Amino acid sequence: MRGRIFGIVFTVMLLFASVALAHHSPSAIFEMSKHISVTGTLTKIDWINPHIVIAMEAKGEGGQIDHWTFESNPPSWYRSVGLGRADFAKAVGQTVTVEGVRAKDGSLYGYMQKIKMPDGTSLELINSGEAK
Amino acid sequence: MRKVLFALVGSAALFSWIAQAQQTGSASNKRGVTAHPDLSGVWTYAIDRAPSALKKEVAGTVTIQAIDQSARHGNATSVHGVLPSTPKPSYKPAYQAKVKELSDHESKLDPVFYCGKPGIPRIGPPRKIVQLPTETIFFYEDISGDPYRIIPTDGRPHRVNANPSHYGDSVGKWEGDVFVVDVRNFVEDTWFGEDGYMHSSEMRVIERLWKNGENLVWQATVEDPVVLTAPWVMPPRLIKPSMEPLEESPK
Repeated sequence: MRGRIFGIVFTVMLLFASVALAHHSPSAIFEMSKHISVTGTLTKIDWINPHIVIAMEAKGEGGQIDHWTFESNPPSWYRSVGLGRADFAKAVGQTVTVEGVRAKDGSLYGYMQKIKMPDGTSLELINSGEAK
Repeated sequence: MRKVLFALVGSAALFSWIAQAQQTGSASNKRGVTAHPDLSGVWTYAIDRAPSALKKEVAGTVTIQAIDQSARHGNATSVHGVLPSTPKPSYKPAYQAKVKELSDHESKLDPVFYCGKPGIPRIGPPRKIVQLPTETIFFYEDISGDPYRIIPTDGRPHRVNANPSHYGDSVGKWEGDVFVVDVRNFVEDTWFGEDGYMHSSEMRVIERLWKNGENLVWQATVEDPVVLTAPWVMPPRLIKPSMEPLEESPK
């Protein structure tokens, strides 16, 4: 059973994470198989439990400014891998690219799995198998 | 004459205290304010945190920063003082199908999947312990919030009128160098393990904590005469000291 848990480790985390705000079925929130990439200006970083939240503005297909919100792992998780709020906050006002999965309802909401910072540094959440 | 006697008794008590302090003053066996081993401190996070690593790429150089999950998944069965344990609890036949159903539909039925409170013992060992003369406080970091437990150690019984809760009603005592916490009066909402381990309101959990060198050992026993055939002694966990403070999460 433990193996099964580890086997779906990333998915599980997404499920945990995805329901934190709404507290309802995770499958109702994110389209897990549909990955998105959004490039825009980082406008805000909330370092809060149960998930950090990133806000950004990106130019939409119609030329309008879209206001995206991404949640990600808890602050304690990021702390465990050596990252703090300042590591993200330093990019506020600058261009970043966020990759993740989008809310199933089509809203401008997603779960951040990877971010590319203005200096080219990329930070990606991976599972234990990928780490080996 | 009486004053002389008091002075003699007082001196003897002081020398005895000093001798004891000298014997127990090493870092690995430090005594706390209660003359028991001092469990106070910050301990490694012991809840599953997935994904388990961060991949960082800077100018083409990739580094992997994995999370230390030894406090959750390390093997501590050979540590001195642990009780013989089994990997799984033994449910009465009448409840086995129910447990399987819960386990099979974990992602839909597990309250923790929905950021619910894991309860005791599922939340595992505390992240921080503050040991005081008449009470010990456990602090936790959890995705459902950051609960704490105030555990009386002054010999008082369980509260009679306490409401059932996710973290129950705790009283603590020392058995030698082992801190034993008796927890009861739970709500039935929690699972005591991620494999559908449901329980009744009769569940009682005994947590045992002690030092192993600089590390902390935590082992829990789940008793539930309604659903289990016998108490389940969980595998022990060996938790290393941590330098990471609890997250304050300011907004």
